[in-house]
Formats: sequence, C-alpha cells, structure tokens
Amino acid sequence: MRSDQRRGDGSVDLLRYRDLLLNLVAAELRAKYRGSALGFLWSLLNPLALIVIYSIAFRSIIRIPIERFPVFLIAGILPWTFFSSSSMAATISLMVNASLLKKVRFPREIIPASVVLFHLVQKVLALVVFLPSLLVLAGHLPWTLVFYPMVLGLQVLFVMGVAMALSVLTVAYRDLRHLTEVALTMLFWLTPIVYRADMVPATLRLIFAANPMTSFVSAFQDITYWGRPPDPGTFLAMAGWAGASLVVGLAMFRQRAAYVAEDL
Amino acid sequence: MGPAIEVRGVWKRFILRHNRVETLKGRVLSLFDPRQRERREVFWALQDVSLAVEPGETVGVIGPNGSGKSTLLRLIAGTLPATQGDIVVRGRVSPMLEIGVGFHLDLTGRENIYLNGSLLGLPRREVERLYPAIVEFAELEDFIDVPVRNYSSGMHARLGFAIAAHLDPDVLLIDEALSVGDEEFQKKCHDRMDQVRRRGKTVMFVSHNLRAVAALCDRVGLLVHGRMLAVGPPDDVIPRYQDLVAAAQAGAGRMLGPELPQVFGVRR
Repeated sequence: MRSDQRRGDGSVDLLRYRDLLLNLVAAELRAKYRGSALGFLWSLLNPLALIVIYSIAFRSIIRIPIERFPVFLIAGILPWTFFSSSSMAATISLMVNASLLKKVRFPREIIPASVVLFHLVQKVLALVVFLPSLLVLAGHLPWTLVFYPMVLGLQVLFVMGVAMALSVLTVAYRDLRHLTEVALTMLFWLTPIVYRADMVPATLRLIFAANPMTSFVSAFQDITYWGRPPDPGTFLAMAGWAGASLVVGLAMFRQRAAYVAEDL
Repeated sequence: MGPAIEVRGVWKRFILRHNRVETLKGRVLSLFDPRQRERREVFWALQDVSLAVEPGETVGVIGPNGSGKSTLLRLIAGTLPATQGDIVVRGRVSPMLEIGVGFHLDLTGRENIYLNGSLLGLPRREVERLYPAIVEFAELEDFIDVPVRNYSSGMHARLGFAIAAHLDPDVLLIDEALSVGDEEFQKKCHDRMDQVRRRGKTVMFVSHNLRAVAALCDRVGLLVHGRMLAVGPPDDVIPRYQDLVAAAQAGAGRMLGPELPQVFGVRR
C-alpha cells in the first residue's frame, strides 16, 4: 500500500492531478464565456484597444519611425498582456481559492499554474484572431513564426515562476497586489513594445538588459514582425530567465505552500 | 500492513498574530513605530497526540470546542502540516472535510461533478464511470445542466452528498462539527457512514453528537485542550466526557474553558 498521504508537504504525484489542473482552467474558461456568445471577444478588447490607441499616439502623433506599426504592436502586446494579466491574477489566486485550500488536500502549485494556463489559452485564442489581421496588414506571414511555440514555451515557464512567487507572497503581504500593478505599468514602458530596442540610448541599456520581458518581447518581434529567427543570445537570455524564475518561484512557493492554509 | 491511520506523537503549533501585520506598508511602518508591531503568541492546538485507526474501524473524536478535533482531522487530511510527529494514512483518503466545498457556482452540476472528482484526485475515466450513479442518487437528472448558482440549498446539499457518497475512498474523514445541514441531511450522513463502515472502510468522525458517536463508532478518542485524554470503547469514553462537562458546569474547575455553553447547546 502506498503511504503518499503524509501531511501537506506537496510531495504527492502531480500527474495524478493533471485532470484537476485542466478542469480548473476549463472551469474558468466556461465561467467566463458562458452567458455571452461574444464572451471571447471581450477578452480581445483590451489588446485591441491598446493597439488602436498606441497606433494613433505613437504613429500619427509622435511619429515613431517604425514601418507597419500595428503589426509591430501586435507582436509585442500579446506576450505582454499574457505576462501582465497572469501576474495580476496570480497575486490574488490563493486568496480567491481560500476555502478550497483550507478544506481539500491537493498540490497547491495547481492554483497559480491554472491561472497561467487560463491566460495562456486566452493568449493563444487572441493569436488565432490576430494572425489573419497580421496577414492583411503585412501581406504575408513570416516563416519565422515556426519559432513561436518555442519562444512561447520559454515565456510560459518564466511566467509560471513569477506567478508562483507572487501568489504566496501576496498571502503574506496583501498590498503586494497594488505594488504589482504599479510595477507592471512601469515595466511596460521599460520594455520595447511601442518602440524598438535599438532606439534605447546607451546610457539606459543596462536597465533594459535587466528587464526579463525585454528578451521575450524582442524575440516575439523578431519572429512575427522582422521575420528573422531570434539570435542565440536572446534564446540564451530567455532560457536563463525562465530557469531562474522557475527555480526561485517554486522554491519560494514550496517553502510557504504547506502553511498557506493557515495564513489565509 | 499497518493501521489505516497512524498518528504518532503529533504536535501542532499555531502562531496567533495579534495586531497582525499583513501588508508591506505595515511592515515598513512597524520598523518605526513599535505600536504597529504585531504580537505573536504561541498556541499548541495539539500536544503529543497519538492514535492508530485499524482498517475497517470507525473512530470518533469528541471534546469541547477548541480542543483540537478539527485540527487533528485537517492534519490527517493533509491540508495542514504537523509541527512535530508523524502522520501516515494508508489508502486513498477522501480529503474533503466538508461536502460541497469545491463547487464552482458558475458551472453546471455536470461540470461540478467532474471538477470535484479531479479535486479528489480521481482520473476522468473513473468519474465517468461514477457519473450516472451520482446523478441518480442526487435526483438531479432534470437540473444537471443548470449552473449550480441556480440550485436550491437542498439541491446543492444533495449533489454534494451524492458526490461524496460515491467517491468510495478507503478512509473517510468527516468533520460534523463544521458542517451545517438540516436533521434529515445529518441523518443521511450517518446512514451513509454506517454503509461505508459495513463495507469495511475506515471512518474517522469528529462530532458533538454523542448519540451518533455511540451508535456508529467502535472506539472514541477524547480530546481536551489538545491532549488525547482517553481512547477506548464508546461506553467508557463518552461517560468520562460527560463527567468532565458536568464537573466544569458545576464550576468545579475551568477545565474546559469558556466555550462550554456551546457544547451543551450542541449536545441537547
């Protein structure tokens, strides 16, 4: 007989709970899109609004010298939205599921993981809608899109680590949610999304190099806008950020996860 | 093969945080202002508790409010970690202490059955197999595709109970002290426990209902102030508890603490 039910130390078989993870994601998707046939379109509204507004502000008013500017924006804003909405949702994820965590035993990692997967599905759906518009705006789809799953995979790992850390830290410090919001706004402008990375003056380069989202967004722009494969340095940076984020995030999560039910 | 549930020398410490600091802002302020600091008090909810439940046995845990009964059950279910000591559970434990906890109100009854199944770690195929029986038991055939939000409280309870009743865990943990429900529902719970017991499953049962404990349990543990004062046949342990309660009520000591009137409220 197995005795895998020793206390809440999270050592239970994660695979056994794969169905739970998928069911939680499906539950969120169903809950969100039920009752409105246009439900999914609402989730497109945010990136769409950003793209329209930034196109007007930066192309027509500030006249930023980037050709096919909407395409450039789509390339950067979709991965940004995935990162920022996952992070925001992760902060409150454990608190929202307090009753579940207190009364049912299951690997706690599933909660932040389901948040990230939910937003990943949203992002992929958004991509499906934006790809045809990319075709219309650019005239063709670059072959380098074959790298998309790979770059996205690395970003998912990175976001996963961030979500793990944010979810447990917010249980200890409830105002972290507001700090995260402010930090995300600042990070947005410090990420080359509405401008090109090479437009950043040399004096500020260090800040941008220290921003993990720079390499991810650059890679997405490379493969969707420029039609070139990301250089090995970018891949290395993404892999590094993804690995570091996962290791640190999971370590922080595991350290506190067993006590989360007490602190909620 | 050893006992189904083995609790060995378990201690559980809670840190009571008075004036709790739970924001970064508060943390920073407390650096400058000692009045903003939180006071921490150590509270031992369980002290050196040991208990072994054999497979097929039904064991009840009784004791006044705040004696650590629910904490013990949560430790065994694995939702809280023990501070010290070992807990081993052999076989699949139903880790849900309250019925209907895992419902998502925006989802239909059908979808919630699958969600609950996966919450308990059941493979999808297994849930598919159990699904017809659950729906039939709950008598919800006509409402199974309606969001649970629109269920009456009775339908809600029936679905929750039907799910719990069909999961077929090896070890069933029931915290009645925490559950709410009408008399009929409680009776249904007891009938179900009896059924489970007859099928040779292990049951652990926390309750204030001494009559139900006496009727259902092979052995009873008496938990007072986090210590297991006695474990034995219901006929020995329940009178002991009643003596304690009577003594405390007579003002012969503050043994059981200020929660006592509630204990009586539940008993009568």
